[in-house]
Amino acid sequence: MKLKLALTALVFLTLTTNAHAAKLKVVTTTADLASIAQEIAGDRASISSIARGYQDPHSVETKPSFLLQLRQTDLLVVVGLELEAGWLPPLLDQSRNQKIRPGTSGYLDVSQGVEILDRPTGTVNRSMGDVHAMGNPHYWLDPANAVRIAIQIQQRLGQLDPSNAAVYSSRLGNFKQRLNEANKRWTAQLAPYRGAKVVTYHNSWASFAKRYGINVVGYVEPKPGVPPSPSHTFQLIKLMKEQRVKAVLVEPYFDLKTPQSVASRTGARVLVLFPSVGATPAVGDYIKLFDRNVSELVKVLR
Amino acid sequence: MYMTGFGRHSARVTFFLALFITVVAVHPLQAQQAASQSQETQQQIEALRMRLDQLDREAAAIRDALSRLALTTQAGKTEADDLTTVETVAANPATSVEVPGDPDASQSPGDGSLDPQVIANASNAGASKVFNPDISVIANFLGHAGDTNSFDPRESLSLDEAEVAFEAFVDPYAKAKFFFSASPEGVELEEGYATFIALPFDLTAKVGKMKALFGKANTWHPHVSPWVDQPLVISGFLGGEGLNDSGISVSKVFPNSFAYTEGTLEVFRGRVDGVFDAENANDLFYNAHLKFFRDLTESSNFELGTSFARGTAERSEDLAAAGGSNQFAGLDLTYRWKPLSRSDRSFIGRAELIANDRSGVDGNAFGFYTAAQYQFARRWSAGFRLDRAERSVDPSMSDRGVSALLTFWPSEFSQLRGQFRRTEYGNEQTSNEVLLQLLFAIGAHGAHTF
Repeated sequence: MKLKLALTALVFLTLTTNAHAAKLKVVTTTADLASIAQEIAGDRASISSIARGYQDPHSVETKPSFLLQLRQTDLLVVVGLELEAGWLPPLLDQSRNQKIRPGTSGYLDVSQGVEILDRPTGTVNRSMGDVHAMGNPHYWLDPANAVRIAIQIQQRLGQLDPSNAAVYSSRLGNFKQRLNEANKRWTAQLAPYRGAKVVTYHNSWASFAKRYGINVVGYVEPKPGVPPSPSHTFQLIKLMKEQRVKAVLVEPYFDLKTPQSVASRTGARVLVLFPSVGATPAVGDYIKLFDRNVSELVKVLR
Repeated sequence: MYMTGFGRHSARVTFFLALFITVVAVHPLQAQQAASQSQETQQQIEALRMRLDQLDREAAAIRDALSRLALTTQAGKTEADDLTTVETVAANPATSVEVPGDPDASQSPGDGSLDPQVIANASNAGASKVFNPDISVIANFLGHAGDTNSFDPRESLSLDEAEVAFEAFVDPYAKAKFFFSASPEGVELEEGYATFIALPFDLTAKVGKMKALFGKANTWHPHVSPWVDQPLVISGFLGGEGLNDSGISVSKVFPNSFAYTEGTLEVFRGRVDGVFDAENANDLFYNAHLKFFRDLTESSNFELGTSFARGTAERSEDLAAAGGSNQFAGLDLTYRWKPLSRSDRSFIGRAELIANDRSGVDGNAFGFYTAAQYQFARRWSAGFRLDRAERSVDPSMSDRGVSALLTFWPSEFSQLRGQFRRTEYGNEQTSNEVLLQLLFAIGAHGAHTF
């Protein structure tokens, strides 16, 4: 009797283990989310990203190859706040995958649990440019938000894959610890430049600037998504001279012509700051991305 | 932890109070005590009930206050918090609709210590309108200068079309789209269909009135077309409005490691102006499309499509024979190049070849276009197109054209296009024309399929 019971239990155990043997397939919209998901999942899930780190995440082509990527996905993690509004909905509609539709457990919008800046108050319309009506979607550039993203991914992974929940939980603790240490380092590196004035191309650095006390006084774009215009550039040069702005920060996918001309006329320096993991092979994960950005920023603010 | 602890505590209080009330309430009845005593007990019960209600309210208020406190003080902590506390707050559905009141409450501490909790953000902006469909209006304003063209007459200036689009989910199984076209000729339903997205076996289905998936150019709305006009082969073979009819379309993806492969089968009522005309209800028009897509490199890809359509030919004044079949076979090729790290360079090369076999016509009519488009700045692109098409009802006559194009995109929502075209219509007419187009869109127009 006892033996029979033990055998049954063994068979049952084997069956359930087999059911969980297949790795969870996680797809993220951006490389940053993929890097954070990787920290949580380790080798327990396969992680891939749709957008590359050197690509403008606002404008991704809706290629059929992404449909194949999404077809078997168990969990889709998105930045939200309409960052992917231009390309994700048609991919989801054609993905033939009901598991990852918004509102299901296979769809995780991590903007739901992070600190969001620049939420417009009052009405928003397109005369203001490509304004994000729900707030600034570049929130992942604050390490505190990276922790919040990590917590949400860990919770969802644990929910979808309970057999590995303990692993995800302990990896989250490990990531938080390492990020905490790294953030102390970055904060110390940037501490002498608290309040330093910079100009950025697009409003991608609000969360980063808030975290480290950098003061963004203007943008190369006259309005979000609108290319530089001569009159705005003229105003910007005036502003930068008055405010003694030391650096112009540009995302790698924007043209350097206007930033360079503005910088040469004001004595500021142009720095290509990477908004995403994988912008170059050297910034392969979230911590390396900040290591590089912070050390380069220190050089131009010095 | 605080919350669950308090909840447990308050539940215990409630339990003992309830027990006490029961005992107090039941005891006097059994004991058959004096009326005055019973009245006194009644009052006690009433008092206790009120006290209980008050306690419940207080407990709820404290629970609320605690959750708010937990949300607004997350960034100011320096020592490691209990992780379970963090999770409870984040996962608590009651707090997920709370908005952290003061955004400045989470100022960075300055010493680099990092132990934030998840902030539960409200996501109900415009919740009252959430079930309204996405609505957009796209205007197509056209200008024309140069030779008069009797084959393709155009006005000097006209708001050719305002397309009103509605889009929303019907239910978990389907998404519906409607495109109304308002033009000087009146308002018509250009397309209106439901797409069933929750079918098994990698299938999707569309039911309604829609453009047939024949080649590429036939499926485009004016604002996704890279040209002001239609290529000669499209307008000549597929009718002025294209293959667009009421019907059912089913497509399936065939997963394989070589290429994205999608097959589509469609059946339509069988009436398309200038092309098909069902003389009886069984004269349907059928269309089949097979598409292959493959990434060549990260920044370039290639698409190949084949199409076949067959229906009953519309009676034509030019043809003695009536009815019979009208068949089309098509091949479309698209090459795209777009470096991911740049937003100011891209290239698209396309070609489409169509053969038309119409009964009552001697021989088959062939036609093709080939076109290229090069983006040379963030908002500018230049292109050309070569056209050649035999006449559908008389393949011995052929038309040819050449076009040069320049497009400027002030923003994602408007485009200004100039096209110079020179067209030779058989040996009857040669026209040199300049076509101008301004497209502008308002509203929540969703992204387009690739």
